[in-house]
Amino acid sequence: MDAVTYPNPAVIEFIQTHMVPLQVAYDAQPLATEFNVKWTPTLVTLDPEGKEHHRTVGFLSPEELIPSLMLGMAKWHFDLERFAEAISALEELLAKYPRSDSAPEAIYIRGVSRYKSTHDAKPLKEAYERLQQEYPTSEWTERASPYRLL
Amino acid sequence: MEDRIAWERDFQLALSRARREKKPVLLFFHNPN
Repeated sequence: MDAVTYPNPAVIEFIQTHMVPLQVAYDAQPLATEFNVKWTPTLVTLDPEGKEHHRTVGFLSPEELIPSLMLGMAKWHFDLERFAEAISALEELLAKYPRSDSAPEAIYIRGVSRYKSTHDAKPLKEAYERLQQEYPTSEWTERASPYRLL
Repeated sequence: MEDRIAWERDFQLALSRARREKKPVLLFFHNPN
């Protein structure tokens, strides 16, 4: 990770623009215990109050790491019920990294965000239909499968 | 003990900067070896 992904210019540019990075050793206390770190690399997305919203463990290529970080930022907005911001972040992810491993979860959370901001169930069904069409074997398609009945 | 204080201080500084800049913190645990 350190030798391959983090020095990638696109990754550095993304992180410096959108996040406050803090790199720490896997055994740095009290952080390693507080965040229950068991393996490296572990990347945790926190809000400014220190609350965790997303984590990834293990190596990711730049093409997967950036959308994963974007997903983490969207989940931060989602968890705080800032659905417009979440939808905006998820749409940017899906526009720039539509084939990434983060895309199916992004489609799912975008559907839920749209539902929560409009109370219209249609976005949930649309999310399922897109997942079924584009990612039929994804766990997120399975999780969205009840929405086919809406 | 000094290391614990230093890491906690760095963490609090990152949170403070995140509040100021309205950004999330990316906490990156790595193995320096």
